[in-house]
Amino acid sequence: MMSALHGRASVEVNDVHRVELSIPADPQMLFLARMTAAAVAARADLNYEQVEDLRLALDELCVGLLNFGTCAGQIALLFQWDSEGTLDVVGTLVPDGEPSSNGNTPGTTGPALSIELSQRILDSLVDDHGADAIGGVHRAWLRVRRQELSV
Amino acid sequence: MANDASFEVTDSEQPGVSVLDVRGEIDVATSPELQEILVELIGRGPELLIVNLSDVSFIDSTGLGVLVGAVRDVRAGGGELHLVVTEPHIMKLLELTGLDEVFSVVSNTSDAVRP
Repeated sequence: MMSALHGRASVEVNDVHRVELSIPADPQMLFLARMTAAAVAARADLNYEQVEDLRLALDELCVGLLNFGTCAGQIALLFQWDSEGTLDVVGTLVPDGEPSSNGNTPGTTGPALSIELSQRILDSLVDDHGADAIGGVHRAWLRVRRQELSV
Repeated sequence: MANDASFEVTDSEQPGVSVLDVRGEIDVATSPELQEILVELIGRGPELLIVNLSDVSFIDSTGLGVLVGAVRDVRAGGGELHLVVTEPHIMKLLELTGLDEVFSVVSNTSDAVRP
């Protein structure tokens, strides 16, 4: 399997910033997605707690996509945020048709518990999230809004 | 290129007590290794298993799933599992998933061995 990383940094159009990252659909690579999430969250002026929350939420979003991974491929992530403090992330699983070897083995209690925990985490940490599959392409997204610090 | 270079697990034993010190990030990449070690430790039938997460900087749902499986297996064998948690964001994660009600959580290893 050929691994490929692609990134495109902060393109600003009409006050909307975009960062694109494409990583192999491999559990070993999720740390890159978390690092990018933390950097983007800081650029979007989220507070420290929200940066940590986004890092975890993005990890859960990617784990959800990996659970659909019957083929090797890429996870394409699009981060988009505006000056109003809304940050959206869309992740798309882009298969390349080769058999998967990502070996996703969540836990002794099986994937059902991990999936339930993942949903609880996303429900708690982000303002909105969801997933769908259109034409066999799996997609997941989340949205967070910047919290103003109370004094 | 992998992130699990910083993931380390070391275990130590006293009579009836096993202590597992975990360091680094517990995610979908490293959870299988943690699970394997826990299964092996639980197989020895400890009365008390302490999983020290003080040096864990990140844990996700797959890591939590492994720990829930471990606590169930330990209790099925008549033992108990305690978690040592010092990082506020990990404590927050346990609370928001409701797992703070499932685990016995303490803030240091000494408290975990105290009856």
